[in-house]
Amino acid sequence: MITHSADIVIVGSGITAALMAASLAEKTTKSILVVEAGKPTTPFAERVRARERWKAYGESPWQQDHLDDQNATGTTWGFSPSMNVGGLAMHWGGVSPRYSPEDFRLRSMYGVGSDWPFSYDDLDPFYQEAEERMGVAGEQGPVALDPRGKPYPLPPLPINYNLAQLQQWATKAGIATWSNPSAKNSVAQDGRAQCQRCDTCYPICPTGAKYSPDFTWDALVARKRITLVTETLVRKLEADPKTGRITRATGNRTTASGEEVTIEGGTFVLAAGFVWSPHLLLLSKSSAFPDGLANRSGLVGKYLAGHRNVNAYLRLPMELFPGINVQHSLVSKQFMRVPRSSRYLRHDLRIWESSVGREPRLRGDDGQVQFGDALMKDWQQRAKGATARVRGYYDVLPDKDSALSLDAKKSNRFGDPMPNVSFKDAPESAALKEWQEEQLRELFRTMAKAGGGEILRMENSANDLGQEHPVGGCRMGTDPTQSVVDAHGRAHDHENLWVAGAPAQPTASCCNGTLTFVAVGLRTAAAIGGAAV
Amino acid sequence: MTTRRGFLKTAGALTAGVATVGTVGTACDVKDPSAGNATGQDNGAERVRGFDRVLLDAVATAVLPASLGAPGIRTATDAFVAWADGYEPVAEEMHGYGYADIRYLPADPSPAWRAQLTALDLLAHKHGTDGFSTLPMAQRQELLGAVLRDQRGERIPAPLDANHVAIALLAHWSSGPDAWDRALGARVTPGVCRTLGDATRKPLPVTMEPKA
Repeated sequence: MITHSADIVIVGSGITAALMAASLAEKTTKSILVVEAGKPTTPFAERVRARERWKAYGESPWQQDHLDDQNATGTTWGFSPSMNVGGLAMHWGGVSPRYSPEDFRLRSMYGVGSDWPFSYDDLDPFYQEAEERMGVAGEQGPVALDPRGKPYPLPPLPINYNLAQLQQWATKAGIATWSNPSAKNSVAQDGRAQCQRCDTCYPICPTGAKYSPDFTWDALVARKRITLVTETLVRKLEADPKTGRITRATGNRTTASGEEVTIEGGTFVLAAGFVWSPHLLLLSKSSAFPDGLANRSGLVGKYLAGHRNVNAYLRLPMELFPGINVQHSLVSKQFMRVPRSSRYLRHDLRIWESSVGREPRLRGDDGQVQFGDALMKDWQQRAKGATARVRGYYDVLPDKDSALSLDAKKSNRFGDPMPNVSFKDAPESAALKEWQEEQLRELFRTMAKAGGGEILRMENSANDLGQEHPVGGCRMGTDPTQSVVDAHGRAHDHENLWVAGAPAQPTASCCNGTLTFVAVGLRTAAAIGGAAV
Repeated sequence: MTTRRGFLKTAGALTAGVATVGTVGTACDVKDPSAGNATGQDNGAERVRGFDRVLLDAVATAVLPASLGAPGIRTATDAFVAWADGYEPVAEEMHGYGYADIRYLPADPSPAWRAQLTALDLLAHKHGTDGFSTLPMAQRQELLGAVLRDQRGERIPAPLDANHVAIALLAHWSSGPDAWDRALGARVTPGVCRTLGDATRKPLPVTMEPKA
């Protein structure tokens, strides 16, 4: 039996956990222990080679970053089985938009979904803290579309030659766009290099210009400010039946030894994402808590939320050079900040350069196989002109039964049932889906027309796969019968248990979510820091 | 003596029966990493690497643009051989968005590609010549065109998806930054780490003369 103890125990080592730990390490002198089921990640020194092998063959740059018997089933589009130090954010794209103020007041403003228990203005300082800790490069859009309290910490990634042409086209179509905010160094800082547009942000940045959580863990460990325990799976939290306080976490090493582990602590923080956080609470049932911990409301694992998208490729009469910086884009929040209308639709908009339709081909227009200079000539003709990619994520409101459950048929080596994930739209979203997607398609047609171009193809998210940037499972709120945690992430039922980031969110907006997951986590860290000092 | 018609008919069958090569970065069947024999791998034996370079060069000069020049074609062929030799069968694929299961790369495609080179040579012998590498360029291209006549043509696949060595070679070359720069007529060097500040400028034109 291995025993650990600390004042603050954080379960999970992903991006939210890392930045919360950094915040807590400054806010309190209490000891902090971080528990990660997986192994350390691919060392920084090996990432150039890892990138080359991914580019050459499609090999994962993050080998052995998962546990074979610890995975989710069901509709898992936005779920990654990554389970290593840094979690999924070792291979995130670094895209870091904020939600819009409307996201926090959907019920009040539009009569759909749920209001959050705090406002955009309440979260603004934590957005800023998240942006500063990660190093987000961005430019503020028009204030009415993109409100913020302070400037971005880093200057924006440049509007490159291709995006400058596309921005002129978007302006003609009446759409305000700007450089997409990204957790990538537009200038060298924090000991990390300037972005060199290697264009492999997802899945691996070889230079360290993109923020990833390992940088924070390395710094905290070097300063001896935290203890990071790897290859240790927390399988159960135990609570005092009378007080409800969490007394300890128990689990096992995920090494061959499989030794039992006990972790005692004063404060427990679940920062294990939208799957593993509610999963652990459901696993932690006992005679005193037969439905699992923090589950008086019966809502642990419920209200999983995300968004879907409509994507299109457009041919435009301009000259672009695909490959200048494929992973950088323009963004607009114009359609996230909409007045109340008879039918609900909010979406973001991103615009990229694309090489679709401009690749080499084996057969020419005559249908004959072509080689050599004939193939090259055909390719040069096809490469002329421009293709743009446009995509809108649209807001999908969750049903209560959009849920994670324990699957008795799938268990890990310890016999724990694994999670099954099943997304379900709230009735209002289900009723609007076809209309919403057609509105997006019509927008893309209008944009194509404004630029004198044409649609090459359009496609929707694969609906059977789930939703993107998912959240929920431990939703926050002020009413303990309608939520799992309070407005700061503290469990209604257990005063020393906190759930951080994505799982606590009531809704998922219609843009990339990581920055908000972290900001929500930092708000929780501030509350823990205040309570723990 | 094989008739010309029969010769080309036989050639068309040469892509059939080769091991299907899996997909990189797209949804494909999950490969069982323990099924070494099932995938044609002998986990205990050292992998055979390399290709009959005379035959491969003969294919390369037939399918790659002559405008690359002989050194350019040789460089592209060397790079293809290095890429094929460096392949690690059944390595973990990147697991990103879209699926949660862990997937593995396919079996080594090189044995099938080596066999196809041999088959091209045998076919040329049946045609009454000394071998594929001694055929005039036009006949090599005609033979390859017949061999590849059932290939889909809307785009060249990723190299690992190529079910013929000629396609694999073409695919490997055309996915590189030099090939894209030639197609675009501009020095973009996609996928190569570059200075951020240069991104705002229109890419400079490239000259199309073959390498000396």
